[in-house]
Amino acid sequence: MIINRNRRQPDVISLAFLLMVLLLMFPSAVFAQSNSARALFADNKAGILQIRIIDITSGSKSAIGSGFVVNDSGLVATNYHVVQMAASKPEQYRIEYLSASGAAGSLNLVDVDVVNDLALVQINSQVSSQANSQIAAVLPLAAAEPAIGVPVYALGNPLDLGLTVVPGTYNGINQTSYHPRVHFTGSLNSGMSGGPTLNQAGEVVGINVSTAGNQVSFLVPVTALQHLIAEYQLRGQGLDNMALRIGQQLLADQEKKFAQMLSLDWPTIALGKATVVNELSPFFRCWGGSNRSSEKAQLLSADRTCRSEDNIYLNEKFSSGVIEHQFFWLEAGKLNPLQFYTYYKRLFSDFAAGNKVSEKDVGDYQCDTEFVAVNNLEAQPQRKTKAVFCVRAYKDYPQLYDVMFLQGTVDDARAAFISHFTLAGVSRDNAKAYARKFMGVAQWR
Amino acid sequence: MAVIIELLGWGGKRQRYFTVEGNSATVGRSYQNDVVLDDVHISPNHLRFDAVEDGWQLTDLQTLNGVEVVKNPRSSGAQLLDSDSTIVLGEGAEIKVGRTRLRIVSDSHPVDAAKELHHLERDAGKLNRLSIWLPLFLISLTVEIAALYSSSFVEWQWKNVLSIILGTQAVLLFLALFWGAIGRFLRNESQFLSHYCLILLAGLVYSLADWLIGILAYNAGTEMVAMILSPINALLLLALLLSANFALATNMLPRQRWISSLCFVMLIIIVSITAQMRSWGEFSPYPDYFSGLEVPALQFAGAESADDFIVGFDDIFASADREALD
Repeated sequence: MIINRNRRQPDVISLAFLLMVLLLMFPSAVFAQSNSARALFADNKAGILQIRIIDITSGSKSAIGSGFVVNDSGLVATNYHVVQMAASKPEQYRIEYLSASGAAGSLNLVDVDVVNDLALVQINSQVSSQANSQIAAVLPLAAAEPAIGVPVYALGNPLDLGLTVVPGTYNGINQTSYHPRVHFTGSLNSGMSGGPTLNQAGEVVGINVSTAGNQVSFLVPVTALQHLIAEYQLRGQGLDNMALRIGQQLLADQEKKFAQMLSLDWPTIALGKATVVNELSPFFRCWGGSNRSSEKAQLLSADRTCRSEDNIYLNEKFSSGVIEHQFFWLEAGKLNPLQFYTYYKRLFSDFAAGNKVSEKDVGDYQCDTEFVAVNNLEAQPQRKTKAVFCVRAYKDYPQLYDVMFLQGTVDDARAAFISHFTLAGVSRDNAKAYARKFMGVAQWR
Repeated sequence: MAVIIELLGWGGKRQRYFTVEGNSATVGRSYQNDVVLDDVHISPNHLRFDAVEDGWQLTDLQTLNGVEVVKNPRSSGAQLLDSDSTIVLGEGAEIKVGRTRLRIVSDSHPVDAAKELHHLERDAGKLNRLSIWLPLFLISLTVEIAALYSSSFVEWQWKNVLSIILGTQAVLLFLALFWGAIGRFLRNESQFLSHYCLILLAGLVYSLADWLIGILAYNAGTEMVAMILSPINALLLLALLLSANFALATNMLPRQRWISSLCFVMLIIIVSITAQMRSWGEFSPYPDYFSGLEVPALQFAGAESADDFIVGFDDIFASADREALD
């Protein structure tokens, strides 16, 4: 932030006026909000549960989140990331709930939507029919999306402090993410995940999922939950094979995403003498920089990085879904070719994928390195490049891979162009099609 | 005829010998003996040799510790001679009196033919000249500066370069001094400059070969070439250098030199394999690809088409599937 130190002091009278207006407006707004928040809290607290992941061996809770009752047979909605530990290790963890009135019981995981970070759990009716009757309040799902700017209320159990209501503002579906997320201006804290956000009529408009801090929080739109409930009810039973279900969802999601991306006519932008891929869609964000203004720089380096922030949470050490493009344009400047290539080599050795993984989830990367001649459409002489393609396979979800592609020109002694992409959670055919398209677009013209 | 009595040292090597004229010789700690030995476990008059037909008769002169026959061509196996008894020893027999080992031969005992001076032993000394060392030193300095210059992509600073060069030369100097000191101790000649020249030469050859291996690997498009050839280059040169150092600084025979240097190289291989063993098969979230790049002038290999490259992906996917199953 730039501060203008020669600024004129603000007029004392106008400052006083401003203060007065604020004083008048602020309490009334707070009053109005708290009034409706109080009513919502009282009406709905019976339908909002604390979800507890219990380590079976130690008998204590390992994680907590929130959830809410969505129908009168005791179906509860929450986030996938709240119940993930129990989903992947049912022999180690079980799921329990605790209602605001003190009722408790066990829950069965019946369905998940990893792509939208949702899960459905069923109150175990045999064990807790008595408790079941205590959970009377079913939270209705909103049929229509609220208007931007309307006050909404997030409920949940932040930091295990007990049921809490957080007032905030509905800011519509965020356009910068492939999987739709509602931008909610309010403070969500850990433990509120899986809780509902209600409109003033007490209808669920979203499911609390994440926060970027400073009152910027995100909700899963209620439509995703409606789809999941419909799918579950159509099937009429729980899941036998959770990994199979998750794998199918990931495969279907990447199929849809890449079909969309590959059908686009990719926009381009110049980087040095090269043409690189620009922002493919609103959820694909690009940044760039160069060292042109640096006096100490011995060579010219300009770069552009694009990334889709679509991390699909699979477990605490494993996320998928991210797409990353990276381009470098280098000119030798004051360096001789040997020096320039030393720098180039160092840069070239430093590429990796952008998603989080652990040994449990993926195999080691397998790579191939080849000299590849790139044919330009404009019938210019071929450019010789060194190309690297690395793949690692997902252990639990067959046919899904993380791929890393890297290509750098090797036929000019005083300039170089590097292009790189990583795709997380992609099928073999989509990866090949993506590489073909990418190599056709990102070129030194 | 004369009796030769040899005093043996560590490893059965002769330390001193005594020549006694006539047909009889006495051994003991007192000065009346022909062979006077300084060992507290030897009696003042310990034993006597008398020439007999094809050998010597050994007589123990009532000693405290007796005589141990270690090796006798006329009979097999070691035996302890009791006080006041006798035994007939053949030519070249070995005995132990007190803690001293002796060998008995006649002055007509044959010796091995002279061994030819190894050309390394003959010529390595010629390196011990300032007129050879100085050009080598200047060449290696130039090569080092050129290598640093061609791989530097930040602002050139002489003070950084100087500190690197001083560092390497200090190590080389230390090595040359080390071998010089060993030579001074074992052969009474240090050959300091010869060692320095050999080390400089090995360094130059190593750098050149390593550079060529890098170019070869880059054009072959696989790191395996460098991973196999680089250690071979380093270890082979190390073995050669060590063997030459041994030749200059010690009295080892060629075979001993080779065995010693190969043992040292094997030790390095075992240590480095052990060190790498811990990280073998460890999971890494980072792709391990061959990132070698050389300037276009050093690029000879042909290139395939983008389509062929993409067709090749199938193999990588298949091997990634296999990797994930393990």
